[in-house]
Amino acid sequence: MAAVSLSTPKVFGKATASQEPNILKFSILNSAWKRGTTNQFRRMYVRPVAAAPDRISGKVEESIKKAQETCSDDPVSGECAAAWDEVEELSAAASHARDRKKESDALEEFCKDNPETEECRTYDN
Amino acid sequence: MAVCTVYTAQSLNSIPTPPKTHLGFNQKQVIFYTNTKRKSPNSKRSVTEISCSADKTVVIGLAADSGCGKSTFMRRLTSVFGGAAEPPKGGNPDSNTLISDTTTVICLDDYHSLDRTGRKEKGVTALDPRANNFDLMYEQVKAIKDGVAVDKPIYNHVSGLLDPPELIKPPKILVIEGLHPMYDARVRDLLDFSIYLDISNEVKFAWKIQRDMAERGHSLESIKASIEARKPDFDAYIDPQKQYADVVIEVLPTQQIPDDNEGKVLRVRLIMKEGVKYFNPVYLFDEGSTIDWIPCGRKLTCSYPGIKFAYSPDAFYGNEVSVLEMDGQFDRLDELIYVESHLSNISTKFYGEITQQMLKHSDFPGSSNGTGLFQTIVGLKIRDLFEQIVAARAAAPMAASKA
Repeated sequence: MAAVSLSTPKVFGKATASQEPNILKFSILNSAWKRGTTNQFRRMYVRPVAAAPDRISGKVEESIKKAQETCSDDPVSGECAAAWDEVEELSAAASHARDRKKESDALEEFCKDNPETEECRTYDN
Repeated sequence: MAVCTVYTAQSLNSIPTPPKTHLGFNQKQVIFYTNTKRKSPNSKRSVTEISCSADKTVVIGLAADSGCGKSTFMRRLTSVFGGAAEPPKGGNPDSNTLISDTTTVICLDDYHSLDRTGRKEKGVTALDPRANNFDLMYEQVKAIKDGVAVDKPIYNHVSGLLDPPELIKPPKILVIEGLHPMYDARVRDLLDFSIYLDISNEVKFAWKIQRDMAERGHSLESIKASIEARKPDFDAYIDPQKQYADVVIEVLPTQQIPDDNEGKVLRVRLIMKEGVKYFNPVYLFDEGSTIDWIPCGRKLTCSYPGIKFAYSPDAFYGNEVSVLEMDGQFDRLDELIYVESHLSNISTKFYGEITQQMLKHSDFPGSSNGTGLFQTIVGLKIRDLFEQIVAARAAAPMAASKA
């Protein structure tokens, strides 16, 4: 059974296996011919896709720093364990958020709820 | 299938009130009133009350480390039953619950009694039983098992706070996953089946490196420190649950590749307790004997490092168990189907069902090694267990009515 499904080309950076931390890319419409105008506000800022993971990523980083501080005072205390436990919890949440973002494709999401619309038609020939 | 019981009472002007505890989602009560003598002042009313309740929910416990979203296992399990499990629509977006047609998966982190700040103040990890409300866990799981919907709290992993509760309606199968499903004895008794996912330290380290190295702020040292700091609590509170589990899936580094530290090729052991009701352990060739099997040879060509199976009876924490072990990875479809055709007691409904399930989710982690294979097998075993329980319940009232 052959099915054709269209999906939007993924413009934003895919979650590659790069070691580089998630640097969010803003894409600004490079309309050079419009620069002369006073319309500064017409420049489009595309919101970064990884909005939620970003908020968690920040937390992960913070929590690691806090844990390192807490543990430098007393490495065997309950506070130290609790701090690293928090790091673990946040890392897990961040990884889930990344997986969810990786999976969600705007067109697929839409078609899940509205399979009868034009865009979501599949053809079996 | 619903079990209905009929109550008939003749009472003078008294209307029976429905029992308070039974007002739940799956229970329907129909009350018939008939008036026998209308005009006499002491008219007798004969009241017939029919109370129907759907089958009691089957409860499965899954224990494993770190957060919820043993989602790979959950997705494989719900896929065996049919349908995809999704977070409840329209509710809290940070809810940990997954719902499909037949199954509901509850994350036990929702029963934390202390939120993140609370735990920090007390210097207690989430692994510590003091951070969890076992009384509430027991009450609510019992209620769901009896067919009563509950308002379950939500633990928000992002904010670290306890959010307002969400309504959980009793499903056919309830899976409770988390750190302590078998810790409390009362909850343990409610479980119809329990699974423990035991990841060895080396593999855990390798997986966490893969997961966290892309994260800003993490380094090899921080990952190591995190695992080390949690180890004492883990060994004291989580690990002992192994002995209560009906099935333990143990993940170890491979023995096929010397000095492998990538954690990609794995040795996975399926430790199945003997004598569990409705559960027949999987075996190779001859039940109760010791078998070592390398399927790769003349009939099947495998690529490096190949596949190695072992099966043997054993003792585990004082219980009699059967252990099925796989070391290596699958590269091709025919390897999978070849292996499947030689396993016995796998509770498939048709030839090739395991292979079909593995292929369906070939993008899931573990699809090419024993983790995916054994998770799929356990999923099929749970389906078999569920069907047996339902059949047994259906047979019981029929036998009672015949008597």
